[in-house]
Amino acid sequence: MNYRFQFGVVWDNFPELLEGAWLTFQLGCFAFAGGALIGLFCATVKTYAPWPFRLLVDTYVVFITNTPALIQIYFLYFGLPEVGLRWSNEACLLIGLTLNAGAYLTLILRAGFLSVRVTEIEAGQTLGMSLIQQVRYIIVPHIAKSIYPALANFFIVVLVMGTSVGALIGVDELTGQAINLSTVNYRWLEYFTVVAAMYVVLTFIASIGLALLGRWAFRVKARIF
Amino acid sequence: MPHLAVSDVRAKYGALEVLKGISFEIQKGEIAALVGPSGSGKSTVLRALMGLTPITGGAVEIAGEAMNYSSAREVRAARDRMAIVFQQYNLFQNMTVMQNLTLAPLKIKKWDKAEVTSEARRLLGLVGLSDKADAYSDQLSGGQQQRVALARALALKPQILLLDEVTSALDPELVNEVLDAIRKLADEGMTMVIVSHEMAFVREVADKVVFMDNGQIIEAGTPAAIFDEPKTDRARDFFSKILRH
Ligand SMILES: Nc1ncnc2c1ncn2[C@@H]1O[C@H](COP(=O)(O)OP(=O)(O)OP(=O)(O)O)[C@@H](O)[C@H]1O
Ligand SMILES: [Mg+2]
Repeated sequence: MNYRFQFGVVWDNFPELLEGAWLTFQLGCFAFAGGALIGLFCATVKTYAPWPFRLLVDTYVVFITNTPALIQIYFLYFGLPEVGLRWSNEACLLIGLTLNAGAYLTLILRAGFLSVRVTEIEAGQTLGMSLIQQVRYIIVPHIAKSIYPALANFFIVVLVMGTSVGALIGVDELTGQAINLSTVNYRWLEYFTVVAAMYVVLTFIASIGLALLGRWAFRVKARIF
Repeated sequence: MPHLAVSDVRAKYGALEVLKGISFEIQKGEIAALVGPSGSGKSTVLRALMGLTPITGGAVEIAGEAMNYSSAREVRAARDRMAIVFQQYNLFQNMTVMQNLTLAPLKIKKWDKAEVTSEARRLLGLVGLSDKADAYSDQLSGGQQQRVALARALALKPQILLLDEVTSALDPELVNEVLDAIRKLADEGMTMVIVSHEMAFVREVADKVVFMDNGQIIEAGTPAAIFDEPKTDRARDFFSKILRH
């Protein structure tokens, strides 16, 4: 092998990569948080609502989970202007990722709903809790605890795999930024080596953040390493 | 006027009628104990009173007021007046003992915070757990958790407390601490309907024993009358089996 790595150029453009990483981080967090809200809502509907609503949720979940995220985002990117909506690339990506995450999180959270013991729900009901209060005080804490690993894994999937789709619609998140920069000076290997390391650091930070959040809010005994 | 009057209450699970006309009443401050073989419908009576199992016939009155379980609002009215503690303690896992006690009074009833907190402290004292206010449920023994569940039910100031085999999931050495807490409630004049297999305890605290079998009341009376001189063969059979050992 006689390729000579030259990291100097990467270093010169490091601030731009950092900007990309920051955007990736924000996109990942917002898409996951938004997806979690959608998922929680849909899982509640799946558990308690009459069948037409359940059917609606099923349709959404089946449609999203059986098509690639890229296609969904292209749909928003190319489709929305046709109906007169001009959204930025970032907005298309974020909405697409959020809707995508929402469908998967519906499935993950639904499993959590099913694992709540009926007696716990009944204890809440007899204390006079409304449906929303049962979800908030009994089901969500239970889910956070029992399926925390599944949630944490999925967060990383959104953060790393989901956001990098942005590169294909011209969003300058970490992967997009790396492609932009390396097309200028052809230092592909250098850029992608550094970017890979940055993704690792990013997921690391995200995992710690999530574990701390879980511990603080739900007393999840999450292992950080 | 009886504090709780249950008359001809019926309930079904699907096509199976599990309560076939249950009638009994208790005065304020009295304790009724429901006893009988497994599957006789004891839990269902308590669940029906709390609106967890729908009532298909009959009537329930609390302090002269008719309870009607036909709408969510009416069910809530029943739940305002009664509280239940189950065999499994079902504490909120991610909350401290104190938060478990104060959640419903503060967030659901919207009562005054200072009053709720001081009442919660009093109740923790009553069940002997003053030092555990800040503990989480997984840091407590089963008996302690069940006593917290008892205090949590009382924090809503129910007029009637329903207890469904609250000691049967506990290790034997933890049973007494829970029974002691119930004794104290009895001394405070709490009106209670309890389901229990602890016959010695029932004999000690109950004013009235209701013997059920197959969804019906077979015999009811004072503990002495029911335990020592049962009039029916079924009751005699049942007590001779379980009082032997
Ligand atoms: N969720 C349910 N679905 C269908 N049948 C039920 C259900 N719960 C209870 N039953 C039936 O109703 C009858 C009464 O049950 P219940 O739980 O009230 O009995 P119990 O007297 O409390 O018994 P145990 O002493 O075992 O707790 C039983 O025949 C039982 O099989
Ligand atoms: Mg029972």
